[in-house]
Amino acid sequence: MANYKLNINNEPYEVEAEPQTPLLWVIRDEVGLTGTKFGCGIAQCGACTVHLNGTAVRSCSIPVSAASGQQLTTIEGLSDDNSHPVQQAWLDVQAPQCGYCQSGQIMSAAALLEKNPKPTDADIDQAMAGNICRCGTYHRIRKAIHTASNNISNGSK
Amino acid sequence: MEASKINRRKFMKLAGMSGAVLAIGFDSFAFGKPGTLKRLMAEDFVTGTPLNPFVVIAEDGTITIMATVPELGQGIFQAIPAIIAEELEVDMNQVTIVKSSASRKYGRQSIGGSRSVRSLYQPMRQLGAATKEVLLEAAAQQWGVSKDQCYAKSGLVHRQGSGETLAYQDLVASAANIEVPKKPRLKPKKDFKIIGKATERTDLPHKVNGKADYGIDAQPDGLLYATIERCPTLQGKILSFDKEAAMAVKGVKEVMTVTRTVYGKKNTGVAVIAENFYAAMQGRKKLNIKWDNAEFKKVSSKSYFDDMKKLAKEDGLSHKDQGDFDVSFASAADKLDVVYEQPHQSHSCMEPMNATVHVRENNTVEVWAPSQSPQVQRQFARNLGIPENEAEEKIKVHLPFLGGGFGRRSMNDPLEECFQISNTLKKPVKLIWSREDDTAQGPFRQGTVHAMKASFDNSGKATGIQHKMVSQAITTQSRSSNGKIPFEVMEGINTHYDFKNYSIQYGEYKSQIPIHWWRSVFGSTNGFAHEAFIDEVAVKAKADPLQFRKEKLKSEPRQVKVLERLEKESNWSKKLGNNEGKGLAIVESFGSIVAHAVFLKREGGGVIISKVVSVVDCGVFVNPDQARAQTEGNIIYGLTAALKGAITFKDGAAEQSNFDNYGMLRINEAPRDIQVHLMDNDEAPGGMGEPGLPPIAPALVNAVANLTGKRIRKLPFDLQEV
Ligand code: FES
Ligand code: FES
Repeated sequence: MANYKLNINNEPYEVEAEPQTPLLWVIRDEVGLTGTKFGCGIAQCGACTVHLNGTAVRSCSIPVSAASGQQLTTIEGLSDDNSHPVQQAWLDVQAPQCGYCQSGQIMSAAALLEKNPKPTDADIDQAMAGNICRCGTYHRIRKAIHTASNNISNGSK
Repeated sequence: MEASKINRRKFMKLAGMSGAVLAIGFDSFAFGKPGTLKRLMAEDFVTGTPLNPFVVIAEDGTITIMATVPELGQGIFQAIPAIIAEELEVDMNQVTIVKSSASRKYGRQSIGGSRSVRSLYQPMRQLGAATKEVLLEAAAQQWGVSKDQCYAKSGLVHRQGSGETLAYQDLVASAANIEVPKKPRLKPKKDFKIIGKATERTDLPHKVNGKADYGIDAQPDGLLYATIERCPTLQGKILSFDKEAAMAVKGVKEVMTVTRTVYGKKNTGVAVIAENFYAAMQGRKKLNIKWDNAEFKKVSSKSYFDDMKKLAKEDGLSHKDQGDFDVSFASAADKLDVVYEQPHQSHSCMEPMNATVHVRENNTVEVWAPSQSPQVQRQFARNLGIPENEAEEKIKVHLPFLGGGFGRRSMNDPLEECFQISNTLKKPVKLIWSREDDTAQGPFRQGTVHAMKASFDNSGKATGIQHKMVSQAITTQSRSSNGKIPFEVMEGINTHYDFKNYSIQYGEYKSQIPIHWWRSVFGSTNGFAHEAFIDEVAVKAKADPLQFRKEKLKSEPRQVKVLERLEKESNWSKKLGNNEGKGLAIVESFGSIVAHAVFLKREGGGVIISKVVSVVDCGVFVNPDQARAQTEGNIIYGLTAALKGAITFKDGAAEQSNFDNYGMLRINEAPRDIQVHLMDNDEAPGGMGEPGLPPIAPALVNAVANLTGKRIRKLPFDLQEV
């Protein structure tokens, strides 16, 4: 057991954990932010996607020890009123079905648009191929990313 | 592990912006002790006068409608309240939807078979209309006029010609005492303001910010985490395991055996219970279980399919027998004689199987049931010796959102397992299946073999076809089928095609592999074989596959209309380039008819699905946007089964374990464009959760044949290798 200082959504947390504990379980069960989901545990599905220093990473495959002292953002940190352009676009096109994969999808999309505000379909394929949606909302996710991209470049929030 | 700066107790997640109320968690004081908080479930916080179990109106004007059907992505959280609101004459933005718990007062809460809207459409309209009638009556009495001089709109009763109004909240107290009419008048479809219009789903705001409460998110105080090591072969007995080694892992609290029932077969595994999930998983690795399972190692996909192919050569039970197929085949000038084959599949819900149960010392229970059949009170009550009439008072069941179901969650084995653990420890326990458990432990979709034959006369005309389907059945896994065809196995075989000689048969195969309802069930496998073969027959008869179907389905005007619409919307008759191919299929299942046209293109050295055009006749629909969404989802789910993984068995065990070796379709492989068109008619509502699935795989392989001349008869296949 060791003590780790985590910075999640600009809040400091201190947790006691085994160094190899996947960050995912610390975020969900110790910190209590359950928006980040467990899907596979082996970096294959993207349900657990969070931002580590602004980059989309799979929290199931990062030990808590490696996240200590870094800037982490989870779905809960994107906005507290659904005002983030990606969340808005997701609602515009009514993207989620069961919704379970969508925290991860949204975090991947937000990281993509942060780096590349005008992604092409090929860019979207590349950035989003790590996120499985078993309900099959890909068609709407693609639409939502384009919508968000347009809204960002038109200067609306 | 302990987080220092966190309030883990969850309070009412009231979402002003969406008008939807989800979960509550005033856990530990919830039951029993006099003078302590008794409110536990979301509905305990609803204030106002209930006019029935579903509609509550408060004097401050809040109109609450309960969402009582488990939401797994199909939009039912919104759809059933929308049906009530339509007849109640309130606008959706006046309504607060509150997630109910499991209770018999809401009727049957299990979901499956694309049944919810189909079975609840009429009763829920009646409920809404009857509720409106008592409010009208209350207003009429207050004004001293007759009820037909009053009408309702947007939560107000208007007195005709006078401009006077009374709000529902001012009428509810007296309305509660008025007798509810048994046969209220229902609105004609042309007056609908909500049904048939796209409404935004009120659960979605919670699903873009992480607040939606899934079963796996339940976090009552003092929660322990469990994982279970089950026999790697389908069955087996425990000989020994190393309890001490698992207990020695830091954080592990208990190790115990747990039994799981699958279609009458009981299997015992070993549960490791710990302070956190990571510790439980580490402990599980130390169990070193020795299994007695030699006799179950014989099961393999190879022997399964070899046996079934043998069975397909024998006569089966007759489902349809018209003319004399054997004679027409024996005397045919030309023939087709081919075999189709589809493997087992896993449901692979995005949210792995899980359950949370808290059996308390005082014999009260709180359950979080991520289930398609969440009314578990009576079953748990029997186990605990609680009298049936106290079951609902002592056993509270939350209905979390489900991260997918696809039929898998109609089996409550995770709740069964978790209940045993919590009942032993008298502590709150969350059991989580790993993805590996979820993929490999089943139950699975059936694997099937289809022996298909067609006869042609010397002018090239098709004179007969035969479809012999061989598979296990779901409902007869633990009993004999007594020479009868189990009701579920013929779904999706179109018996209406007009062939002079038409034979459809079923051969039942028995196996130890447990199978279960998998999105569209036998529709998925039958629809594939039948519609791909119809295409072979059409092409051999030198007919356009769409015109051929129109011609042969004349007795079914709804199907013809769907095909005509598909012809138009997909521009079917337009000539394609050399690098392009198209294919279609039409299947009726679960009360709806769906046809897909798939367009393929060679591009950048591979083949892409450039477009899918769909036409859906589901009769009256509640939310057209969600009918489309379900169809889009069915297309992806069906394409995944056609193009990606298969579950195969070797030495008694599934060979696949996780998404690295059991692949899912990803965004870069999905169709570039999906267009879904809904037929507009007054037919009774059909299902929407499944009917979009059966026609997609056959439309795809028919398009491959159109592009390459090559027939795909065994799924899955690699689109890049065609
Ligand atoms: S849970 Fe992390 S990628 Fe699947
Ligand atoms: S919305 Fe259900 S898995 Fe993506």
